[in-house]
Amino acid sequence: MPLVNIDNVHKYYGDNHVLKGIDLRIDAGEVVSIIGRSGSGKSTLLRCINGLETYSEGGIIVDQMEVTDDDSQIRKLSKSVGMVFQHFNLFPHLTVGQNITLAPKLVRKLSAEEAAETAREVLQKVGLQDKFDSFPGELSGGQQQRVAIARSLAMRPKVLLCDEITSALDPELVGEVLKVLETLATEGMTLILVTHEMNFARDIGDRVIFMHQGKVWESGEAKAVFANPQTPELQTFINAVL
Amino acid sequence: MDYNFQFSELWPYTNLIVDGLLWTIALTLITTILGCLLGTLGAAARAGRNKLLKHLVGAYVELIRNTPFIVQLFFIFFGLPSIGIKLTAWEAGLLAMVINLGAYSTEIIRAGIEATPKGQLEAARTLGLSRVQTFIRVVLPPALQTIYPALTSQCIIVMLGSAVLSQISVQELTFAANFIQSRNFLSFEVYLVVALLYLALAVLMRQLFKVVHYYAFPNLRARK
Ligand SMILES: Nc1ncnc2c1ncn2[C@@H]1O[C@H](COP(=O)(O)OP(=O)(O)OP(=O)(O)O)[C@@H](O)[C@H]1O
Ligand SMILES: [Mg+2]
Repeated sequence: MPLVNIDNVHKYYGDNHVLKGIDLRIDAGEVVSIIGRSGSGKSTLLRCINGLETYSEGGIIVDQMEVTDDDSQIRKLSKSVGMVFQHFNLFPHLTVGQNITLAPKLVRKLSAEEAAETAREVLQKVGLQDKFDSFPGELSGGQQQRVAIARSLAMRPKVLLCDEITSALDPELVGEVLKVLETLATEGMTLILVTHEMNFARDIGDRVIFMHQGKVWESGEAKAVFANPQTPELQTFINAVL
Repeated sequence: MDYNFQFSELWPYTNLIVDGLLWTIALTLITTILGCLLGTLGAAARAGRNKLLKHLVGAYVELIRNTPFIVQLFFIFFGLPSIGIKLTAWEAGLLAMVINLGAYSTEIIRAGIEATPKGQLEAARTLGLSRVQTFIRVVLPPALQTIYPALTSQCIIVMLGSAVLSQISVQELTFAANFIQSRNFLSFEVYLVVALLYLALAVLMRQLFKVVHYYAFPNLRARK
């Protein structure tokens, strides 16, 4: 059984048919990059995987749990599916440590000490162990995004969803965040990334999904997809972004 | 102008004025705490999913914000006894003040809650926080930060509005002034002194709110 099983998923925004029958199976430990033009449905698909968006048809099963928009189901899912956002979405009034320990304490019911221990460990992983008591506003964008990754990791997810997590960063800060992702990838974390970092998708990713007009237009082993695009749409896209 | 100012004539009434001042301070302190608490609950209800509660709170807010405070006070003190609810003057006064601040602060805090960026809610949801946890831990603190200046002003307005309680003989500052004035007819002196005391209270309150702000929101102190 794959870790993420997406079966014929359709999604509409009003009359706008945004996802047109998505089928996707992702195994534990895979690093999957979703690429495609703006508006092709990448974010929508990602957000359907953890229940941030509802879908109108088909089914999604993650870690043997059906994804529905039911609140208690979402809470259960949150222990298996982490998400990192383009704009970090750290809680500005909480320190880095508090940001990271909040959900483990409230949702995983860890004690304060256990949660703090976890926080130090995940901060170490993203190279920010000295920022435990800083506020998000005191950090650079790259550091904030690494804290956001750490915050997700503290919930011990089986899969991490990343939606253009380097797009809001100054170019010189992109590298430090990609490096964290690369570390996670080598450690066997399952990653599903919507990204415009084509080099990362090709070199670090196992698989690339090219989305076009709400469909998985083309997909395959990362290097092969970039080397031999099978459709003119992907060819055009690659020419435009590389 | 040949009026002979007689401020020294007020000395014998110092005790009365101080007592009045203390009453005003006590009423304001309790009202600020209970009123803001009520406002937070009201705002939570306005933001919540329960339709009935939402509309009830909405009606409460509109009722209070569109009627004079003195009428609200008279209704509670003179009107409620007709249905068997008898309150002492200061109980009625305090209740009126809390209900009044509760309504205004509901609206103020609601505005702060509505300013919550969508991303904060999505992050909380993704982390598995319940709606109540999200409200208390994620939404409310930044909302209070945002609307803090407006809330400060409203609390000061309510402090000044407590002068109306003199009308039901709560022995606060204005009641003391009225009383002294009725004895020695030194209206100019009495009301000037009392006005300055209100001014001092308002300034003091603003400073106090700043101190609370300093300790309540450490993230705003932090600098890059
Ligand atoms: N909340 C929404 N309400 C209505 N329409 C939406 C909403 N979110 C997305 N859409 C529409 O759904 C389609 C897919 O959007 P989506 O955000 O998934 O694209 P994307 O591939 O992530 O694009 P980008 O690269 O710009 O982020 C677009 O046509 C968009 O206008
Ligand atoms: Mg997107």
